[in-house]
Amino acid sequence: MFTLRWQLLFIASPLIVIVVLFLGPLALTVTESFRTYIPGDIGSTQGAPFTLDNYRDLSDAAYVGYFADTFRLSFIAALASMVLGYPLSHFIARRPPGFIRKAIVSALVILMFMSALVKVYALTIAFGPVGFGRSFSAMLGTRMNGSIMSEILVVIGLFSFLFPMTTLMMVSTIQNVNPRLLEAAVALGASWVTGHFRVILPLCIKGFVSTFIVIYTLAISAFVIPMILGRGQINFITNLIYTRFSEIANYPSGSALSVLMLLVSMVLVFISSSLLGRLAGSQKKQGTR
Amino acid sequence: MKRHVDDVVKILIGSALIAAGAVLIIPLLFTLLLSFEPRGYMAPFPPPGLSLQWYSKFFGSEYYMRALGISFAIALIAATVSSVIGVMAALCLTRSKSKIVHAINALFVAPLIVPGVVIGFSLLFFFSRIGVESSAIKIILAHVLITLPYTIRTNVASMAGIGETMVEASLSLGAREGQTLRRIVLPLGRTGIATGFIFAFAFSMDDIAVTIFLTSPTVYTLPAALIANMKANFDLTIAAASVFLAGVALLVIIILDRIVGVETVMGQGIYRN
Repeated sequence: MFTLRWQLLFIASPLIVIVVLFLGPLALTVTESFRTYIPGDIGSTQGAPFTLDNYRDLSDAAYVGYFADTFRLSFIAALASMVLGYPLSHFIARRPPGFIRKAIVSALVILMFMSALVKVYALTIAFGPVGFGRSFSAMLGTRMNGSIMSEILVVIGLFSFLFPMTTLMMVSTIQNVNPRLLEAAVALGASWVTGHFRVILPLCIKGFVSTFIVIYTLAISAFVIPMILGRGQINFITNLIYTRFSEIANYPSGSALSVLMLLVSMVLVFISSSLLGRLAGSQKKQGTR
Repeated sequence: MKRHVDDVVKILIGSALIAAGAVLIIPLLFTLLLSFEPRGYMAPFPPPGLSLQWYSKFFGSEYYMRALGISFAIALIAATVSSVIGVMAALCLTRSKSKIVHAINALFVAPLIVPGVVIGFSLLFFFSRIGVESSAIKIILAHVLITLPYTIRTNVASMAGIGETMVEASLSLGAREGQTLRRIVLPLGRTGIATGFIFAFAFSMDDIAVTIFLTSPTVYTLPAALIANMKANFDLTIAAASVFLAGVALLVIIILDRIVGVETVMGQGIYRN
């Protein structure tokens, strides 16, 4: 056992990093979000009067549209990743170790580690004029440059970012369910689909809910994907924060948006932990019955 | 009847998965092929031949090579610093029996929950208030912060595996703390340390949401340079750069597979021997 002096020495530097570079700046952003913005100045002048205007502005109809886009498109992409990830993750979890399993897992890990920039650029080219963008949009009965195509591209971009991670996270959940349970259900006359819905899903629900919340949080905080694939027609809250800084230097408004995003992430984490707590409680009750 | 429904559902799922695979992979193959485009502009598919002109443009570009060099140097420094701090935190978190350890642990992973853009914006603000001028220092500090949760987590996992008795034995046989650390703890935890370093390096090389707030006209990273060009002049040099970055990702995976095995990312499960 290291002496207390060593332990304090060890814990000091990470604590300093977190307090100085993380908590400090966030606290500064929170106070800045209450400062009055004077157009033309970069940031608020030091000691500018406090106000709630920055938050009041956010309830404007235009902002509500941006928030709606962020939450709606992220939700669609996260849900699609879960629904399509489930069969693949079940396949991986139940397959004995071997070449095919290793190949699929490796492909997913490589896709997960590949830069979002690469995926975004690849999608822009593939769905652009030299790719199959025109025939694809015609197939859906829309125009290549329309805002519907931008929405579809953002969802596809988010999907390719989330899908590998979702699938790998679901594998680790499914691996903890006894494979015999599904076999028993099918042997006792349940169909394969019923077996999955009535046996596997209830047993995995805790892990799946936490997976969903993790990927949903990642989706709403995505930055590059909506910025490039949204082509200016779709903007996420993250993109607004960047615009506040880069184009009009309205730091108080950017801060208010940042605080809002911070709150949303914290609420999601809170929901997931309390929901998981309750689900764990109900499962325990079922177990004792 | 039930079995028929099953067959239909299985076919539907199979085709949905093939479509998903196509969405994931076809654009990447498309980019790979276009990066060898011999014509000097972005022209309809397929290319009539192969050429390396976009690669030579990418590797010959002073702008991109400067960005690559800066990205590499920053990732190296940030990952090293983050690993050292991560090892120290992990040593304390796994050895201490104190109750506040849980709270400190939660604090250390908190940067993962906060969106990158919020971290970037807050840091920009913070650095301008305390008067940090150098972009390089800003970006390095930011990258240490965002990679720290990863190095702490991988190091906690590996340090927890080192038996307490090893440290006790070393200390009771007369080694000083520093010696025990150097000769017992660090060698036994090297897999976790290496994994954490690789993760930190890869995340630092790739980050854009935080970095984009902290760059300057002379200090910018490769992702920042690529984003700027994706918005301004969209040419196939970026395709060559993308293939290069995908190659880097592949290399990282191969190294990680050698150290810990790729399949460990999802654990073993309790019903597998």
